[in-house]
Amino acid sequence: MSAEDPTRGGRRARRYVPLFHRVAAVNVFLLLAAVVVTIAVLDPDRISSFVVNEEIVVLVAAVLVMGLVNLYVLRRFIRPLQALAALARRVDLGGRSERMPAAAPTSEAGELAITFNQMLDRLEAERREATGRVLAGQEAERLRIAQELHDQVGQELTAVLLVLSRLQDRAPDELRARVLEIRDEVRSTLENVRRISLELRPEALDDLGLASALAVLGQRFGEHSGLEVVQSISPELPQLSPEVELVVYRVAQEALTNVARHSDGDRAELSLTGDDGRLVLVVSDEGRGLSPDQLPGTGMRGMRERAALIGATLEVANRGPNLGGCEVRLVVPLAEPAGGSAR
Amino acid sequence: MSALIEAAQPKCEEDAVASQAPIRLLVVDDHPAMRRGLVELLDDQPDFRVSGVACTAGEAMAAAGAQRFDVAVVDYHLTDRNGLWLSRRLNRLTQPPSVVIYSAEADGMLAAAAVAAKAHGLVRKTDDESRLCDAVRVVAGGGLVLPILPWQVSEVVRRRLDSEEQAIYGMLLAGFPVAEIGPMLGVSSAEVESYLDAMLRKLEPVGPWDCHP
Repeated sequence: MSAEDPTRGGRRARRYVPLFHRVAAVNVFLLLAAVVVTIAVLDPDRISSFVVNEEIVVLVAAVLVMGLVNLYVLRRFIRPLQALAALARRVDLGGRSERMPAAAPTSEAGELAITFNQMLDRLEAERREATGRVLAGQEAERLRIAQELHDQVGQELTAVLLVLSRLQDRAPDELRARVLEIRDEVRSTLENVRRISLELRPEALDDLGLASALAVLGQRFGEHSGLEVVQSISPELPQLSPEVELVVYRVAQEALTNVARHSDGDRAELSLTGDDGRLVLVVSDEGRGLSPDQLPGTGMRGMRERAALIGATLEVANRGPNLGGCEVRLVVPLAEPAGGSAR
Repeated sequence: MSALIEAAQPKCEEDAVASQAPIRLLVVDDHPAMRRGLVELLDDQPDFRVSGVACTAGEAMAAAGAQRFDVAVVDYHLTDRNGLWLSRRLNRLTQPPSVVIYSAEADGMLAAAAVAAKAHGLVRKTDDESRLCDAVRVVAGGGLVLPILPWQVSEVVRRRLDSEEQAIYGMLLAGFPVAEIGPMLGVSSAEVESYLDAMLRKLEPVGPWDCHP
């Protein structure tokens, strides 16, 4: 307890005598004083002629026993408070955090633990809600940009293409090759605009459902990044809510992007399975893996926040010494039937 | 990417050019630059004549009601309705034009829905422009220019359609007219039409923006 995890920002140096020590000291002092006063009141003569050894032994033993009982009771009261303080220090609102165990209204400490747990529930709910709002805003913004790209930029480029292909037939010979070149450049720009707008907005998800949309994602990703994406997507997936589908899709997308950008590998595996009331997405590669001091980037944080939003857990780890590469694993619990919101 | 199925093609290209009457075209696109580009491109072809231009599906229906067209070149994304709806409606006219949907993407659900909407052609905007002209010639001759469905999409089509609908879908893909599908399945043409409506509802791209799948 004294050696705190330095990554959590450390604990401030204690500038006070702990409650336990203070109450214990006061109690022992009061006990001794009570004994002295009792003796003085009941039998004042004994104070001066305090010589009998056995009496002193009994007295000291009695005081010791009382002191120990006192300390024990006090300790039982203080310990839950210390546990509470420790939990408060390590609690992480991002994921599914711990709660004070066995919080029962049997003491003030118990009441405090219950209140603390309720406060954590509330904070987590609020945080989830805030994250949800931010991510929903992000999705809406992506949709808007994708739409703009498609409706404006895409249409205008297509119109330019049409004009260029007409020009090509009428251009004098010395210009024709140049017109053709420009036309091809515009065409590849148009392809890029389409690709970006598709990445921004996984409308395949709405049209095809998660399994097919992931298959399309893997295929498209392979086409434009040169990464070989090996897919194994279980054909029998349970009914999923649109929120879950979007999170799984975005995590897969982000994980594949990371593989293409950072892994130095040329192959990624994507698997999605649903069994035992949970859905598991695994994206792994055979690249160089994570270095131990690597800090999670915004992409990783985004994945975690999305996962937390649907109560899922996300683990990112190296695949082990023999395998090499890294693995992203998203586990979505499907305890309650998730078919509630029909699409 | 989109290999073509060209089925039931009574006329070939040369015949279309040779027969002096040009192919009468209706161009429907809500984007002014696109409209202009399309009209110029198509009007340039010696065997085409753009005889109608519309910005919306409503305008297109009005134009097609007033005048006969051989082929309608329709953008999928229109301000009022989409190209699939327009295709369905145009097909119900007494002298329906063939419909070519010109769209940004042609390999998603749109390709599947285009069949149920009885579009005759579906051409990607990123394809070479000559593809569009060729497609117009093929559909004007009664043929079909529809992309082969990617497996992910066929998978979804199979899941969403029941067995009767799958049978109708297959016949449409093979180029059978509705008038022949009814007797083959022992149902009336009106019933086939209502099947088509149901199929289109099941297959239409539901993306948050319905411009392309």
